[in-house]
Amino acid sequence: MIRSSQPGVRLRGLGKDYGARTAVGSIDLDVERGECFALLGPNGAGKTTTISMLAGVVTPTRGWIEICGIELGSDPYAAKVKVGLVPQEIALYEELSALQNLRYFGALYGLRGATLAERIDQSLEVVGLRDRTREQVKTYSGGMKRRLNIAAGLLHRPQVLILDEPTVGVDPQSRNQIFSTVRALRDAGTTIVYSTHYMEEAEALCDRVAIMDAGKVIASGTVPELVAAHTRDEVIIELGGDPAAVAEASRAACAGGATLHGGSLLHIGPSSRGLGSVIGGIEQCGAVVVRIASHQATLENAFLALTGRALRDEP
Amino acid sequence: MIRAVIAKDVGLLLRDRGALLSLFALPLVFILVFGSIFQEGPDRNEARPVAIWFAAGDARGAAIAGALAAAPGFAARTAGSPEEVRQLVATDAVAAGLVIDPDRDAAIELVIDLAAPLQARGPLEGALTAVVLRALVPAALRIEARSPPGRGPPRAQASAFQIAVPANAVLFGFFLALTVATSLGSERRTGVWRRLLAAPVLRGRVLVASLVPYFLIGIVQLGFLFGTGVLVFGMEVAGSVSALVAVSLALVYCAVSLGLLFASIGGSERQLGAFGSVVLLVMGILGGCMVPRALMPAEMQAIGLAVPHGWALDGYYDVLVRTGTGIAEVVPAVGALVGFGTVFAMFGVAWFRFEE
Repeated sequence: MIRSSQPGVRLRGLGKDYGARTAVGSIDLDVERGECFALLGPNGAGKTTTISMLAGVVTPTRGWIEICGIELGSDPYAAKVKVGLVPQEIALYEELSALQNLRYFGALYGLRGATLAERIDQSLEVVGLRDRTREQVKTYSGGMKRRLNIAAGLLHRPQVLILDEPTVGVDPQSRNQIFSTVRALRDAGTTIVYSTHYMEEAEALCDRVAIMDAGKVIASGTVPELVAAHTRDEVIIELGGDPAAVAEASRAACAGGATLHGGSLLHIGPSSRGLGSVIGGIEQCGAVVVRIASHQATLENAFLALTGRALRDEP
Repeated sequence: MIRAVIAKDVGLLLRDRGALLSLFALPLVFILVFGSIFQEGPDRNEARPVAIWFAAGDARGAAIAGALAAAPGFAARTAGSPEEVRQLVATDAVAAGLVIDPDRDAAIELVIDLAAPLQARGPLEGALTAVVLRALVPAALRIEARSPPGRGPPRAQASAFQIAVPANAVLFGFFLALTVATSLGSERRTGVWRRLLAAPVLRGRVLVASLVPYFLIGIVQLGFLFGTGVLVFGMEVAGSVSALVAVSLALVYCAVSLGLLFASIGGSERQLGAFGSVVLLVMGILGGCMVPRALMPAEMQAIGLAVPHGWALDGYYDVLVRTGTGIAEVVPAVGALVGFGTVFAMFGVAWFRFEE
């Protein structure tokens, strides 16, 4: 049953256990059609398991998935036709040429003859890889392999494209090329689910972000929403003047949540009192504000606030 | 889809020198070496030199010397003394020697290296004993060898290539199982398997489609080896070609199923390669690919039928050596191979982890 007004992806109570270990707890998510949605989290957060369930590669232990209104569990064939998967690994036959790879993967979706040739041509065009298509993939650079990996997921023109860590191990030029491809696909109306542990990719590419940790979605929304809800800009104040006054001002600021570094640097973080209140307290103590530097809050700060650790930390 | 998978796997095979080597080149080298050794060795239909001494005027000695000269398998050489006979044997100038004492009540001395392997010494000792008996007993006691009912006689003496070709075809034919297992392992490692599972195709169909090309490759491999055996090495096929094809199809089915079983056990490609090679070599040895089962002790001959290699070799031996062997005669071998293959496939499917 297809409901045209349905989101591109809908997950309800989705979870996966491997024996006694829960890889993904229970996820509820909606990804609107034409939206680029990031699953952000450290290694082991459950992103790949979630994506694997979404692509029909792994059977969920609980919950259900809808792709463009089609429930994956009840009609996997119809749902899978609408999904393109770009696995985290370079999922290609390195001994074959790009053309041979794409012919094979296209045939899995029932493409053949002139249609297959046309789709191969278009997919290679999208990822900017029309040269050297008859050479063995093993002769390609890492970036070229990544782009070909994406092309193989585009052949059947999926309405939902799932990209699992698509820029791991690529050079900046290839990364920019992949970004351009993702933006072009989103602009063309493709729903994109983009898994990454690179904060800047989620910020640069995606309309909304779900932060995953330990198999759960711990927050979701647009990047500004997440930053506003879970962090705020940080300020560093350098104190000067009479040492006794500096010490008293520091004590007062720290009592309000600020932290002191090197005897004269006050760090005003998300949990501190407001900046005006802190500066007022400093002046009351007779100390002098020598310098003020501000740092804009980022998704990284929000992630730190939500999980208590940096994104690149191992789980 | 099947056509695309076949095109893909044939393309991969043609670029995989290691697989080509183990499936086609290596068995050919083994066939050439083993076939040539035994074709040109002492078991070929060449007369084996045997020294004999008997005293002048000794009627018994003359009768035995006459029988030895008439025996097709021996080249008699008369020595000047008993000691010369013994020296000729000691220096390997002759295979054995007979010293006929002029005293009719004395034992006839058979000079032969008693430390030689029984497989080499036994037939020679038995044949020479028979020659002596044939010279001394009445003609009425002579024995004529015949095949039992249902066992067709050979068109001629089985040639070395009629043994070497099937032995290596079976040994290396089953190595196809390793190719199947490592190929599936590679698809898992590279993430291609995830891509296949994401496609709108039933999982069982994905698995079957992954195996079909190897079935065809196995048929091509056996066709190549037996074809080379016939055309290059002059190997005869005494039975029917349809029986040869039936055994080969059953063998390939069994090997591909075994590959699925290996893949279901899991592990890295390197682990699969090491584990699978050992298992296949042991199976080959037990089944008679290295040493014919007929030369093994009775218990080992029975154990050889606990692996599919033994049944495959029995089937091939009947087809290649026995005249009149048709489909009906190889039904036991084909049935056993299909049975083994089905058991391997059942466990392989049951244990195969699609979502690993």
